[in-house]
Amino acid sequence: MSLASRNLFQDKTRLALSVGGVALAVMLILILNGFLAGMNRQITSYLDNSSGSVVVAQKGVVDLLGATSLLPPGIVVQVEAEQGVGQVIPLLSQFVILDLHGKKQPAYLIGYDPDRGGGPWRIHTGREPQTDGEMVLDRILAERHNLTLGDSIELMGQNFTIVGLSDGTTSWMTSFFFIRKSAAEKLLRAPGAVSFLLLTPSEGADTNELVRRLDDLQGVNALTKTTMATNDIKLFAKIFSAPLKLMVAIAFLVGTMIIGLVIYTATVERQREYGVLKAIGAPNRVLYTVVTMQALFASLAGSVVGILLAYGAAEWIMSARPQFLIAFDPWDITWALFAGLGMALAAALFPARVVAGLAPAEVFRK
Amino acid sequence: MIRLAFRNLFQNKTRLLISVGGVALALLLILSLDAIFAGVERQVTAYIDNSRADIFVAQKDVRNMHMAASAIPTSAIDEVKGIGGVEDVTPILYVSNMVVAGDERNLAYIIGLPKDAQMGGVWNLASGRSQPGEGEAIIDRRVAEKSGVGLGDTVEILGHTFTIVGLSNGTVNIVNSVAFISLDDFQAMRGSPGVVSFLMVKIAPGVSDEAVAARIESEVDGVTAMPRAAFASQERRVVKDMSTDVITMMNMIGFLIGLAVMALTVYTATLSRRKEFGVLKALGARNAHLYQAVLAQALMSVLLGFVLGVAFVWLLSGIIPRLGLMLSLEIGQASLLKVGGTSLIIAALSAILPIRQIAGLDPAMVFRGK
Repeated sequence: MSLASRNLFQDKTRLALSVGGVALAVMLILILNGFLAGMNRQITSYLDNSSGSVVVAQKGVVDLLGATSLLPPGIVVQVEAEQGVGQVIPLLSQFVILDLHGKKQPAYLIGYDPDRGGGPWRIHTGREPQTDGEMVLDRILAERHNLTLGDSIELMGQNFTIVGLSDGTTSWMTSFFFIRKSAAEKLLRAPGAVSFLLLTPSEGADTNELVRRLDDLQGVNALTKTTMATNDIKLFAKIFSAPLKLMVAIAFLVGTMIIGLVIYTATVERQREYGVLKAIGAPNRVLYTVVTMQALFASLAGSVVGILLAYGAAEWIMSARPQFLIAFDPWDITWALFAGLGMALAAALFPARVVAGLAPAEVFRK
Repeated sequence: MIRLAFRNLFQNKTRLLISVGGVALALLLILSLDAIFAGVERQVTAYIDNSRADIFVAQKDVRNMHMAASAIPTSAIDEVKGIGGVEDVTPILYVSNMVVAGDERNLAYIIGLPKDAQMGGVWNLASGRSQPGEGEAIIDRRVAEKSGVGLGDTVEILGHTFTIVGLSNGTVNIVNSVAFISLDDFQAMRGSPGVVSFLMVKIAPGVSDEAVAARIESEVDGVTAMPRAAFASQERRVVKDMSTDVITMMNMIGFLIGLAVMALTVYTATLSRRKEFGVLKALGARNAHLYQAVLAQALMSVLLGFVLGVAFVWLLSGIIPRLGLMLSLEIGQASLLKVGGTSLIIAALSAILPIRQIAGLDPAMVFRGK
């Protein structure tokens, strides 16, 4: 144990560099996971905050953001007539690409009727749209493009004046903005069209039974808001999981290489001492323990620093780029520590080979 | 001095392997993310690039397809046909929706094609037919394989059942695939007659696409017309503008990790050769010469790491599609230049620590046996 710590602490700069390297790798893993968790929270923000507990979509559509939904004509009346249905909010929604100051910005358009609901849940400044030429834009999106109340945005050939700025509607990919449903119908050249219905069951109604009944209606798919939010997360995870896993794997390998390099060098430098230990009868097991202890310490220290760095970096990224939300949960921290442990064990393989191949007699020849 | 650097570096093969591997992986972080987005940029325009159209006409201010919606009145078809220089017009309907096969749900551009469409249809048919009739669909071959369906099987699109009559190649990317159904089916399902999404325009030989696009915009109300290349470039910009911040962030982290690995390598190598450097100093070698050796060593390792990093990405780009992932990696020149530049900066910075070490080295130390 003391041999392990002496080996490791003998050169402070080397130790600092190795702990720093591992810390950066762990930080990268944490930031990547936090980024995905934050994105998941952002993409479900509309469903999380809008009223109702059931969503009626076009048959075959199971998510809000993935596919464009168009419900059969007359569906609002049909659904309202169903037993157990309380409030019904029709929406006309669609992804659009906004051209803001030469930058292309995907945003999710929600066309809603202010008298029925389904609009922004927290207005930071201004008010809801009262005419078809007005919109409520996400506050952070507006700030990023120096837009404020009274400014206008041209969208698909029509001008909209910003009359409100909303909070909690931002996202890296899916900032929400709101116009009146009648304005959305004109914009999309789809008079009377409805994409989704947000539905609140009446008091005492069995939600699951209601969902089953609504699902039987021609051309629609009814599901709870929770299910739809899960489907949205699944859809985005499907797109982002492959690149993300690749990055995490690379970060893990880099961390392993760094610890491996440090412990390997320290072991090679102390080769004679290990030889002496072997000559006086120490079994390989003891030497492996020494090597592994060094690797474990370097990786543990690196992981702890990495976790702290990740929190700091996340704060910095979110203040510099407010459209990103980086969210950590306790499981991420455990995962980072496990990653550090994995790196240590994999890295110990390099010096262990040196120690195992060492001939005890070698020390007497030098 | 270069030889000394070379010997220092190659004396311990395992250490060299670990350090060069570490740098390569750090550079790989930067390279692979660039390559992923470059791949997406190329894939995302596959439909536009292969549409055979010279000009795309969309609703006013709509300049791309991905995550966009466009609605043009059908009356615009004849208006565009009547414009000088226009040879042919194909209207299509387009929406982003799901192709459902059993439990598998795949996001797709659903394209509604008119009968005998000259543009905007399948460009690389794997099997079956390329023109969908009533109740028929053509879907991507890889999506079909993944979902376990083939010619003659059924899929659900826009909530209706379609029989697969064709399988196409090259119509899938990390985000979605392309599926083709007939324009009539599309119109019936969407319940919006009198509206199409885009017009694909073929122009007469020898006519400028820009000039015709400008004419369409000035003579037809409420539309935006763009030559195919410009339209594809706008599509790529959607990906680029969305990814810029993420790439910058990842580049910075990759740079810092690469720097830590490299600094550690050069520092460790110099440290273990301290005695030799002391001897050289005692023999009268000037500090500048020793600095050169350290710098050369750093440069060599980074160069090796860079080559290995590029080789890794190249390997990954070959392996990933075989794993059934829809991800495509593409190494661009700009990305190589950027990572090359980053490597040089890493090499220079990582040499600072050992240089300081050498500068403080006492030549007499070697005689004291330290």
